[in-house]
Amino acid sequence: MSFEVTIEPLGQTIEVEEEQTILDAALRAGIYLPHACCHGLCATCKIDVLDGEVDHGEASSFALMDFERDENKCLACCAIPESDLVIEAEIEEDPDSRNLPVQDYQCTVSRIEELTPTIKGIWLKIADADGIEFQAGQYINLNLPDDIGSRAFSIASTPAEPGEIELNIRKVPGGVGTAYIHDELKEGDDITFSGPYGRFFVKKSADMPMIFMAGGSGLSSPRSMIMELLEEGCEHPITLVYGQRTREELYYHDEFLALAKKYANFTYIPALSDAGDDGVWQGEVGFVHEAAQRAFNGDFSGNKAYLCGPPLMIDACINTLMQGRLFERDIYTEKFISAADAQQVRSPLFKNI
Amino acid sequence: MDIKKTPKKLNVKEKYRLMTRDLAWEPSYRDEKEIYPYVDYEGIKVHDWSKWEDPFRLTMDAYWKYQAEKERKYYAIIDAHAQNNGHLNVTDARYLTAIKLFLQSISPGEYASHRGFARVGREFAGVGPQVACQMQSIDEIRHAQTQVHAMSNYNKFYNGFKDFANQRDRIWYTSVARSFFDDAMSAGPFEFLIAIGFSFEYVLTNLLFVPFMSGAAYNGDMATCTFGFSAQSDEARHMTLGLECIKFMLEQDPDNIPIVQKWIDKWFWRGCRLLTLVAAMMDYMLPKRVMSWREAWNIYGVENGNALFRDLARYGIKPPMHWDDVEKSIDHTSHQIMLGLYQWKFGTAFHSWTPTASDIEWLKEKYPTTFEKYYLPRWEYAIAQKENGGEYNNFGLPKLCQTCQLPCLFTEPDDPTQLAHRETEYEGEKYHFCSDGCQHVFEQEPEKYVQAWLPMPSMMQEPLKGDLAAWMEWASLEPTASGEYANSEDKANFEKWRKQVSTD
Repeated sequence: MSFEVTIEPLGQTIEVEEEQTILDAALRAGIYLPHACCHGLCATCKIDVLDGEVDHGEASSFALMDFERDENKCLACCAIPESDLVIEAEIEEDPDSRNLPVQDYQCTVSRIEELTPTIKGIWLKIADADGIEFQAGQYINLNLPDDIGSRAFSIASTPAEPGEIELNIRKVPGGVGTAYIHDELKEGDDITFSGPYGRFFVKKSADMPMIFMAGGSGLSSPRSMIMELLEEGCEHPITLVYGQRTREELYYHDEFLALAKKYANFTYIPALSDAGDDGVWQGEVGFVHEAAQRAFNGDFSGNKAYLCGPPLMIDACINTLMQGRLFERDIYTEKFISAADAQQVRSPLFKNI
Repeated sequence: MDIKKTPKKLNVKEKYRLMTRDLAWEPSYRDEKEIYPYVDYEGIKVHDWSKWEDPFRLTMDAYWKYQAEKERKYYAIIDAHAQNNGHLNVTDARYLTAIKLFLQSISPGEYASHRGFARVGREFAGVGPQVACQMQSIDEIRHAQTQVHAMSNYNKFYNGFKDFANQRDRIWYTSVARSFFDDAMSAGPFEFLIAIGFSFEYVLTNLLFVPFMSGAAYNGDMATCTFGFSAQSDEARHMTLGLECIKFMLEQDPDNIPIVQKWIDKWFWRGCRLLTLVAAMMDYMLPKRVMSWREAWNIYGVENGNALFRDLARYGIKPPMHWDDVEKSIDHTSHQIMLGLYQWKFGTAFHSWTPTASDIEWLKEKYPTTFEKYYLPRWEYAIAQKENGGEYNNFGLPKLCQTCQLPCLFTEPDDPTQLAHRETEYEGEKYHFCSDGCQHVFEQEPEKYVQAWLPMPSMMQEPLKGDLAAWMEWASLEPTASGEYANSEDKANFEKWRKQVSTD
């Protein structure tokens, strides 16, 4: 049996299935509720229940305290309706969000390519003729067999190709999910995913120059975003600072060189942290934040920055940007919160970075 | 048939904008400089007040609704406490010493904050901070009032509660808190927010409130415990205001960074000195203990402080200048302060006592490297004097630190056997300090601190001219409220009344 959940201040009513969380149902209906960890730990998705009853599920007693339960608050990511509900969420209208509904997709692995010794490109052909509608920068949850569960991957291709999406997947040492993808998945396999997810997309309404900083396997979202911007004829300066350890890990290098040649407003700054001393590499040597610091002469004001990569890189880039007078409101990162992150003591100084 | 259409509800952000930002206007016949004369002189550069963000988004109408509900709940509990002789439910009358100290020194600080926020709410040029400061100003007077009401019930039965307003101004140890808040209130609007909104509310408030409220709960004082919870429900908003102010200054102009750093250095140190009184309360004054000062510092000071200063480092802010000295002092200050309060107990408006055998065991366990070695021998000396029919008192007047106004009784950070004394000469006068931290604060603004009112020198001046008895009367230090706990009227009465209640 399902329940009807009305979401204020929108006044929109959605259907929630038995055992389905409010967050899942809302996202699937195209209504974005703030959320982050999705496991009841971070309290980003705290909402008010104005009418009706919920089961709090696995909400942590630190993220949702007893008195808040008494005040009819709940965490949307864990709360399951036990009656019809009216809820109120702090919904901010983001002019750049298309609020696309999350759906389940059947697809076939159409191509697998070795991009670097550790990263594979995986192409998924979607069975539904319409394909998937998404915003450049968003991610999907890929369902893996044998009880592995689902894993999140950013889409590396652009929304202009909805029928076949590309994922770039690094083999994580000891990671069961990425090991399966690297060692067992083969062309012709059937696989399913849900999506699109995430709020990491270009703030086009800001109408400002953009800096993309990418490292490791974090290139997917920036690549999709940049290619879309250029194809759409965006005229603002766009800079990609892209770092890898060695030249052979620097996948899609030639593609970006070609784009920089074709589009005058696109600047491409590749950087290697371990270039070797054979003198072959002519580009930047060092980490992404160091290359960016040099390229912008330490002043980033007047830009929007989009960061994607390993946590240490993100942290170093935020420090560099802030010392170069660019602050939280102009910095965007894709964050994946794990249970371990939620345990760490953090100051409330920053919300999003 | 008409279909009833429900109008779309305003979202929180929109509602907030209408109820706050939209209340402001552009002045037409006076210029901004005339209206806000105090926003410039501290050197803080502001280019765009609209960049001040208000993450709390509480509107005035909602504010009244929440606060009224808190008051209703609170006074229901206070009334029940009074009607049921709640004061006899506390562990024993030693607990009263803790709340006397709180009422005499901290509650007037709430009132000072109320005045300070009312003032800076007027002085800031942006409507966001104006509304936030107005709310905090009203919160603070509510806190002061609820605290006075909670404790007025004790005033009916016990000594030392009767004159908190004069005591706040006149007693030597309350002048520590007084000078802290007066220093903040006589600073510019931005420094005030760093002092109270950031250093006190964010960095130090958990160290004050969490131990105090848990202490009240552990020791059966429901009235105090309730005002604590009621006040704490406002603290998240206060902390947010402090944090927002610091972010705003740091982002508005790079020239603000060194100014903010100086204020952080100063107010962190001043706050830590003030909290040494709380340290003594936690380690010595609660009949049932919650946690040691060292344990509280590790959780609320070190863990949260490190997380905060890691984030502030992104702006180029360094941890407070005297952080290491504070860390080194944590295992010492509560003992040093309590020994001081005990030896001057003829001049305190609360009772004190020497630690019992079980207290001593607990202190040894909590301070394994310091208590037994440095402080137990001094307590044993005091205990021996009592056993021989004497009393351990020090009738000399302590030399006070010109900055924090505590007696110069602390030791060198790296040598707990040496008292720390510092002095600075300014315009031909010598000024004394308890530490490098306090000397540093003085030397940044000597012209401010030479004006400090200090209780000991004032006692030697006109009209008291060193008349100790007259001074004690003037400071409302009644003899029944002072001295050794074992001989006090409070103890005798508490035990008598408790017996009556339990045999009824």
